[in-house]
Amino acid sequence: MTTPLTLSSLANHLREFIKASSTDTSNQPGYVNLELQFENLALDLFQLQVQLNEPYRRFLLARGVEPSSVRHWTQIPFLPISAFKTSECSCLPASERNRVFLSSGTSQQTSRSQHFHSLESMEVYEASALPWFHSHYLPDFDGWRGRLFGGPLDPPDFLFLTPSPAHCPNSSLVTMFGMIQKEFAPISSTFAGRVSADGSWSIDPKLVSSSLQQATDFLRPLYILGTALSCVELVALLESFPSNSQCALPDGSRLLETGGYKGRSISISPSELRKKLSLRLNLPPESIIAEYGMSELSSQAYDLVVGTPNPTPSGSPSPRSFLFPPWVRTRIVSPETGAEVPVGEVGLLQVLDLANVFSIAPIQTEDLAKRHIKGFELLGRAPGSVDKGCSLASHGVLPTPA
Amino acid sequence: MNLPNYFMVDLPEEASLSTEMILEACGTLKRNRERYLAPRSTSQMVRLLAELADNWTQPDFPFRRLLLDQSPRLTGFSSQTMASGLDLIFRNITVDSLTSLLRQELGHEARLDELRGSDESTSKLAIAIPPILQVHFTAGNLPAPGFISVLLGLLLKSAQFVKAPSQSSLPLRLLAHSIYDIDPKLGACLEVACWRGGAVPWESELLSQADCITVTGSDDTVQTVRQKAPPNKRFVAYGQRVSFGFLTRDAMSGYKVKRWAENAASDVASWDQHGCLSPHVFYVQDGGETTPERFAELLAAELAKKELTEPRAPLPTHEAAAIATRRSFYEVRASHANHTRQWKSENSTAWTVVYEHDPQFQLSCLNRFVYVKPVADLDQLLAHAEVIREKVSTVGLAAVDDEARILARSLARWGVSRVCRLGKMQNPPLSWRHDGRPVLGDLIAWCDWEHAY
Repeated sequence: MTTPLTLSSLANHLREFIKASSTDTSNQPGYVNLELQFENLALDLFQLQVQLNEPYRRFLLARGVEPSSVRHWTQIPFLPISAFKTSECSCLPASERNRVFLSSGTSQQTSRSQHFHSLESMEVYEASALPWFHSHYLPDFDGWRGRLFGGPLDPPDFLFLTPSPAHCPNSSLVTMFGMIQKEFAPISSTFAGRVSADGSWSIDPKLVSSSLQQATDFLRPLYILGTALSCVELVALLESFPSNSQCALPDGSRLLETGGYKGRSISISPSELRKKLSLRLNLPPESIIAEYGMSELSSQAYDLVVGTPNPTPSGSPSPRSFLFPPWVRTRIVSPETGAEVPVGEVGLLQVLDLANVFSIAPIQTEDLAKRHIKGFELLGRAPGSVDKGCSLASHGVLPTPA
Repeated sequence: MNLPNYFMVDLPEEASLSTEMILEACGTLKRNRERYLAPRSTSQMVRLLAELADNWTQPDFPFRRLLLDQSPRLTGFSSQTMASGLDLIFRNITVDSLTSLLRQELGHEARLDELRGSDESTSKLAIAIPPILQVHFTAGNLPAPGFISVLLGLLLKSAQFVKAPSQSSLPLRLLAHSIYDIDPKLGACLEVACWRGGAVPWESELLSQADCITVTGSDDTVQTVRQKAPPNKRFVAYGQRVSFGFLTRDAMSGYKVKRWAENAASDVASWDQHGCLSPHVFYVQDGGETTPERFAELLAAELAKKELTEPRAPLPTHEAAAIATRRSFYEVRASHANHTRQWKSENSTAWTVVYEHDPQFQLSCLNRFVYVKPVADLDQLLAHAEVIREKVSTVGLAAVDDEARILARSLARWGVSRVCRLGKMQNPPLSWRHDGRPVLGDLIAWCDWEHAY
């Protein structure tokens, strides 16, 4: 007898899938099964979300898509991410929502994305975020709970370049950092960011300097995590140190840069930033990895597993590929036709994130990406307007559609 | 067709320019002007320009053919869009229109040649002194402003140095060659070059050689050149502008509605909606037999037809992505509520019409993406367009004559520098006062002779 599907049961199935996919590999006979599991999960979730997520249901209705006609996950219509700004894009009734993640807005934007969560959806969030983070940032150990109590190695110190979760309850990134801290660094971690009056973040130079100092003085590896903007601030701080007291972090140290410029533009490219961080912190490039995530998603993508040496023989780094976990699928689609682009071509990124059980799994982002054989290369946000010749640019002059 | 290496822009890409080359070119241009251009009469120049313009409207004119042939590859514009655009420019240049322009600007068409009184005054005679060397920085998006700058420069018998946009130098290059072709001595008074933006060592030398500098482009480009230009030089700048249309209740009643939709589509499709004259929004007055929403639907049908006869240029991915992203935004909006509707081309970003109830002015992402918004009247329109008030070029009107006169006056007071019939937005006459400025008046200097009688 089949029990009717509910989001909670799907959430449980997903958690099983996450466990199964972390122990399984593509070489093992169980792999085909995983693919089928994904397919079934995706379709079941789709059918439920059509019923329970009103903006999505209206979207499909307006498009004339009959839910029963969807037979494969690639046929699932992707909801434009702007729906999170202009509607309550959630399967959760208001009574169950106990937190909301907001996208980082600029001072010009009049609306920000709202991603509602409940206790249960946050459990799914954590179940998705931590294993994938672990396998990319902490591939060389099994988790700290064991080691804390008499293990051979000291736990590393974690330095988060953001404000603490208490100061930023609506930030998905900081919340994730909070989960990481609890799971992997319950004893020794620092949140070294501050929130100013206008809501912008900056790093506390004293806290950061002292963390760096401790790491170098006591030869304790330092695990740094921060947004691209805070990493730029970190580089500026390091560049301000006198030349005879440069920072050389001990072996095992590493850095995670999470993209996200919080509405401000930076002229430095991701690879340039990585070079500077590598130089100033004495970190090999393979110890610096990047994360792609957003408040509208529950899963994250990473561009490298820490410690993986760069494969190109020439020595010059090839562009990295971002990879989401097995419970997420991506498509890069042509803005003209909506069809998937060939490998090597650029298009708009679509993400099917099964961990978004209680909101919406298929999301059409506004990010441009280049399709790689596995994964994708991020190229930045699609422009909101065209600036050419006599035509007026929108930067700072007029609001983009709100 | 093989173009001889006559202008700097004909040189192969690897050939680099230098300050010495630029200085030498300026000297040559000034000498050639003195010898070949200055002695000619205005009426000779008028006849020559009219002949040149007429050549450019002929389908077999080799320079036109070459431009249309290469346009998709080298400018992006489809051949049909380019042909349409060229006709808009050159059909307006005739002996009559040139003479009218001279009268409008100078008071008398012979005033470039001799001291003349005007109809109003014979006791004060005046002569217009044109710049010896004009330096033009032209916009990258469409050829029309650059063409007009060069042709008016010829009318004034100035030597000219034109910086063509590096991404699409072909139109200006062909115009230059057509001038050389019709009269090599005139070609000798003109130079066209291109280089990528950013700091180049010869730019300040070039600017100091000029008597008059014209810049057409983004506000940033204008600012950059202005900062580099010596303060004593005449500086004429055409920065960023937007345009929109207004269709009255009367225009939306009766049998002409479909014609207005056709006209509106023409205004959007011209030059793929680039340039300061292109409409971003059509405001449609409520209360007519045709509702604003219905007008949007008609406009969409006309844009679909236009795509067949004058297809829009293919776009680089990021520009197509800008359209796709906006379309996604409005698709979601439209699915919530009926105050937003969208019509678009299938399987391409070729054209898009968004109808939305909110009258607040909205910048388009261009490339044939246009808004239709309802308004109660002009006052409501202007209140919601306040945000672009300093930046409006043209308003295209669909209105009966009597009402059009009243509307034009209100728009003029509000700050619009050009009001025209919807359908003519991209087709200003030669005498069009760009951004409200005198066409030739800003380029010349006067000498008045108050002879005592």
